Amino acid sequence: MATLPTEEINTIHEYGPHRSAPIRGKTTDEPERLVKTHCCFCGQQCGIQLKVKNNTVIGLEPWEDFPFNRGMLCPKGVKRYLQGSHPDRLKTALARDPSAPGGFRPIPYAEAIEKVASEIKRIQEKYGNGAIGVLGGASLSTEKAYLLGKFARVCLKTPFIDYNGRLCMVSAGAGNKKAFGIDRVSSPWADMIGTEVIWVAGSNIAECSPITTNYIWQAREQGAKIIIQDPRITPAARTCDLYLPVKPGRDAALFAGVLNFMIEHDWIDREYIDTYTVGFERVEEYCRAWPMARTAEVTGVPERSLREAAELWGKAKTSFFLHARGIEHHSNGVDNVLGTINLVLASGRLGKPKSGYGTIVGQANGQGGREHGQKCDQLPGSRDISIPEHRKYVASVWGIDEKDMPGPGVDAYEMFRKIDKGEIKALIAMCFNPVVSLPDNTYVARALDMLELFVPIDFFLTETGRHANYVLPGSLQEEDEGTVTQVEGRVIKINRAVDCPGEARRDWIIIGDIAKALGRPKGFTFKSSREIFEELRIASKGGVADYSGITYEKIEENMGVFWPCYSHDPKTGEPIDHLGTPRIFVPGSYNPVAKGKGPFYFPDGKARFNVAEYRTPVDDASTEYPLYLTTGRVVSHYLSGTQTRRIGPLVKQYPEPRIEIHSRLAEKLGIADGDWAVCETRRGALTLRAQVVTTIRPDTIFIPYHWPGDKSANRLTVASQDPISRIPQYKVCACRVRKAEGAPAYAAVLEPQQ
Amino acid sequence: MAHERVRAIVVGVIVAGCLAVLIVLGSRSLTHFDAALVGYTFATLFAAFGIAYRYAMWLQRPPSRMYWRRGWQVLVSSAALQRIASGIRRAVVDVAGNRFIFQRGFLRGAAHMSIMWGCILAAAITFPLVWGWIHFETMPGHLNTYRTVVFGFPAGEFQIGGILSFLIFHGLVWASILVLAGVMLAFRRRMIDHGAAATQQFGEDVLPLVLLCAISITGMMLTVSYTWMRGYAYGFLAILHAITVIFTLLWLPFGKFFHIFQRPAQLGVALYKEEAEQAGQAKCKRCKKPYASAAVVRDLTTVERELGFRYEMTALGPKSADKEGKGTGKNRSSRADHYQQICPPCRRALFGLAQSALWSQAIEPERETREPGAA
Amino acid sequence: MAVPGHLEFFVDPSRCIGCQSCVQACSECDTHHGEAMIHLEYADRATSIQTVPVICMHCEQPTCAEVCPADAIKRTSDGVVQSARKPRCIACGNCVLACPFGVPELYNDQLLMMKCDMCYDRSSVGKKPMCATVCPSQALFFGTREEILSIRPQSMPTNRFRFGDQTITTRVNVMVPRKKPRPLLLDVTSAMNERPQNRTLRLGVVDQGEPDPFAEVKI
Repeated sequence: MATLPTEEINTIHEYGPHRSAPIRGKTTDEPERLVKTHCCFCGQQCGIQLKVKNNTVIGLEPWEDFPFNRGMLCPKGVKRYLQGSHPDRLKTALARDPSAPGGFRPIPYAEAIEKVASEIKRIQEKYGNGAIGVLGGASLSTEKAYLLGKFARVCLKTPFIDYNGRLCMVSAGAGNKKAFGIDRVSSPWADMIGTEVIWVAGSNIAECSPITTNYIWQAREQGAKIIIQDPRITPAARTCDLYLPVKPGRDAALFAGVLNFMIEHDWIDREYIDTYTVGFERVEEYCRAWPMARTAEVTGVPERSLREAAELWGKAKTSFFLHARGIEHHSNGVDNVLGTINLVLASGRLGKPKSGYGTIVGQANGQGGREHGQKCDQLPGSRDISIPEHRKYVASVWGIDEKDMPGPGVDAYEMFRKIDKGEIKALIAMCFNPVVSLPDNTYVARALDMLELFVPIDFFLTETGRHANYVLPGSLQEEDEGTVTQVEGRVIKINRAVDCPGEARRDWIIIGDIAKALGRPKGFTFKSSREIFEELRIASKGGVADYSGITYEKIEENMGVFWPCYSHDPKTGEPIDHLGTPRIFVPGSYNPVAKGKGPFYFPDGKARFNVAEYRTPVDDASTEYPLYLTTGRVVSHYLSGTQTRRIGPLVKQYPEPRIEIHSRLAEKLGIADGDWAVCETRRGALTLRAQVVTTIRPDTIFIPYHWPGDKSANRLTVASQDPISRIPQYKVCACRVRKAEGAPAYAAVLEPQQ
Repeated sequence: MAHERVRAIVVGVIVAGCLAVLIVLGSRSLTHFDAALVGYTFATLFAAFGIAYRYAMWLQRPPSRMYWRRGWQVLVSSAALQRIASGIRRAVVDVAGNRFIFQRGFLRGAAHMSIMWGCILAAAITFPLVWGWIHFETMPGHLNTYRTVVFGFPAGEFQIGGILSFLIFHGLVWASILVLAGVMLAFRRRMIDHGAAATQQFGEDVLPLVLLCAISITGMMLTVSYTWMRGYAYGFLAILHAITVIFTLLWLPFGKFFHIFQRPAQLGVALYKEEAEQAGQAKCKRCKKPYASAAVVRDLTTVERELGFRYEMTALGPKSADKEGKGTGKNRSSRADHYQQICPPCRRALFGLAQSALWSQAIEPERETREPGAA
Repeated sequence: MAVPGHLEFFVDPSRCIGCQSCVQACSECDTHHGEAMIHLEYADRATSIQTVPVICMHCEQPTCAEVCPADAIKRTSDGVVQSARKPRCIACGNCVLACPFGVPELYNDQLLMMKCDMCYDRSSVGKKPMCATVCPSQALFFGTREEILSIRPQSMPTNRFRFGDQTITTRVNVMVPRKKPRPLLLDVTSAMNERPQNRTLRLGVVDQGEPDPFAEVKI
């Protein structure tokens, strides 16, 4: 397979993205029922009610009883109902056919499954089991994520499975596991109200997790001081108490400098450090290299502000630390995370009332999707695929011999390098659009075309799907039931509102059908999501992410259950009716790893201080490329935009990416607001309109990443990855900007969302 | 107030009196007046009084008076000639064609159009008959031919039993069908549309439809009675029909139907706005962008003063002069002295800025007490 | 049906994050389906990220209604100033130009003014208006006075506004600081010389000196 089946524009004409139809005038539809479920966009997982009539979602009604958001929704939540009856919805399987109008022709579902299975067989016989890779997604329900992990290892017998959470939460996950032995936020968001200081690092909460804003504002009303660390003056930064305008990629230095200042002024809790942690000495020593003057110089934050931050944070009695992709999307992302954890641990407040720490997950099931085995090195229950006992237990649940279970695979980006090297020949992808979302995506698209078989399972034909041999029509979130785990660690229930249209199938049925067609149906004959969940409960039992005590009924009765939730008391082994664990790390609490020795999930019960080393970002600004490029989200779009770029009102809100640039820089470059400008990096160039503002560092530009092709920010980003978490360094690379000679070619051909 | 009311009563009496005179003239001193319709006649006289009274009251409100005056000024000016084409287009498309209602929804447009033309047709037939302005008489010597007499003058003849006579004599039936179709569409919308259900009021939205429905049905029953039932219960039905019509006529000036007389004012307003656009734009004193025609802004400022609003920004004068470059002549002339000189987007921005300024002021004292960089 | 008297609207523009949830939700409301009546605009995007949400404040003596030549704007007994009555509105635009808050809008294709009616289809049956239900920052809050006073100890509501020499009293409240200087009203025209700030310290005890946080960044 060398190229796309047809000119890309033909595929766009046929399969979109088109915008959903306008809704004006429909005020007479009376819904038959309201389905309580959750928004499919982002890790907050706001409760929402969908209005359903004639097997179609016709509108929304806020769900004011759900405790996390109490009816609040961001624009994506308000308009998410428009995705269901969308004209682009895939209702049949597709097969690549260069003679068909869009490069694909519809084929019967059964035929597609047969063709896919026989191709898989052929490739595995010719090249071996490891010639096939599986890509999953963190917007899938936990059941599907679990099933994909099992499918890769048990049915396909390949080590190569990874997921798009690799681009999202892995730095936080790795950092949390290194420091705490568990990968979850410490407490529910409601604990923020009443705290003294909230520090938000690298998170534009207003656009990426809007509902969190109200928690922060409520905390402020109760007297909390807000610190925001970001290269841009985000809406929350505008009115925060202390703004730290950090230069992209310098977060670890900032944390080290602040911690050093706190140590110098004895604003740390020695008693807590001695009792509950190990390894502080090495951190203390490392931080000594970061006096204020050097920190200020490296981070670009005025010394005075750094001192204020240290004082505010150091002297507080209660505090909350939140961070997100801004500090995690770096080639030293794990170190950045560990830097925040060091600040949190040294202050001695973790586990105490009105205090907390956590990462704000980005994807819909960012938490649940990273716990049960679709990660390359992981097995259900947040177990490790390299640890023999973990392998044995999961193999016994799956009914296979431990020896037959493949070992650890490689991260998602590495899989593309393996494709490039000819080691992986076939790829099955669900809920992952790497052609838009992976860095240096020209390389990714090229790799896809080297595959012998590429089968995406999706509800719309994504930009990645255009490279497919066969496309299997999967399910939208509202077409299936299941569980997801939201930002606070609360496991919640997604409810089915409508049936899949046409020949589209629920994703787990498609997996089962492929397994059956391969002649390996054992372990994939589920009749409902509930059956998968029941197996997942057993598989996760005894792991750190223990879901064994959670049932669908318990979730619905309690509006969510915080994991770990045990079926058997970890202390006594007796069956219990456990209602979950909203707060972890509480001094005196029992967990099955520490067995009472302490609140953290290590055998000694103590948290780990880790030296969080600052390293200059890969591809840092230079004379040739003197500016920093940073990327991120806008509020009306989600991830690669597969869904939100099809929802008319959301496209209208933010139609096309723009280069956000400071007026001082713009003036120097002769660029006015609305001008076409070219941004170049060592990977490529983009021509977009400039938005001239004063709310961004003058040495930094920002481009949102939700668009494909000639509008894709990830054409520019660098494919350098963190050595531990393998997260790509999306948040900084060197670039240069100039005024464009004229409008780019795409402007005349493509609609804004395409 | 009393003064305005007296004036309106005088206008009402004059209009009703004129109608009475016309009835006497039109029916040739009541020779062609049908005594059985006397109830209707008095109801129309009262309605004429009421409508004129209300119209006069309405026009005495400062904003209506302003537009009334401006509308006529344009209409009698030379500009009117230039605008005659657009005026006619508007009258046809919007008033006769109900385009602006179709824009709100096809069925809404269809409902209104059908009710409107049904009512116009019915009124055009019945009012002249009631007032004795029209009557039909057989042609001497031609028993099969009817002659129409309008205002006592003969105007056209037609054959009895011909298609034309069938259409003419059943004119009210066609009108009823049109009205009923429209009323049903309107009722349907009011029953199933959530928005309409929330904001509708009995008097404004339901009663008018009920009345139209009652008139049409009782009127049709009269036809049914004499056509197919040999006049069964004709007398009772006639009284019933008379009651519904008379009630509607009496209610005409006060309820929703008043819009029939008020609404054409939009033609004058449109004409004036068009004319005013030509005369130049007012620029916002804050953002310096044009936002409305200067004449309209001027008129509105006058109207606001007449209504007792005090949006003058006199208190701000010296203060802002201080802030803005020591009261140089340039700033003085560009400063707003009436809130009406600020464009709506700037007003919205000011609302937010004023609120955030309060929050900034609230922390000033606290910040002063703190040593900067005390760490 | 009427909006219960104890339920009030409280607006705090300083909380607004400009996400446009309110705008998207407003267009879901059945009294004006598909059209958003709320205004959410940048004060000046070039110099600040500040956004201002503006809903109809439902004046006790609405200027829009008084200047309406067609008498099309009515305030119902529950204090809600309704959108223009469709049969009467002649689309003259007086209300658009007269409203001190800049709320009404003219829809020229329909020859009709439409404006925020507090989601009358929802609020008249005791539900919250759409915008206030979804607002993620709760810059738009709908509930009782006791509720807002208890959850927002730093703020208090006021419903009096000054525009030049004119004072306007409204059914909708705006949140102002509870501590001194306690304003009895919000003087909107006093902000004529205010410009949106890059950084607005809200409760800031922290003195950051330079108002432009990027002043030291060299390019």
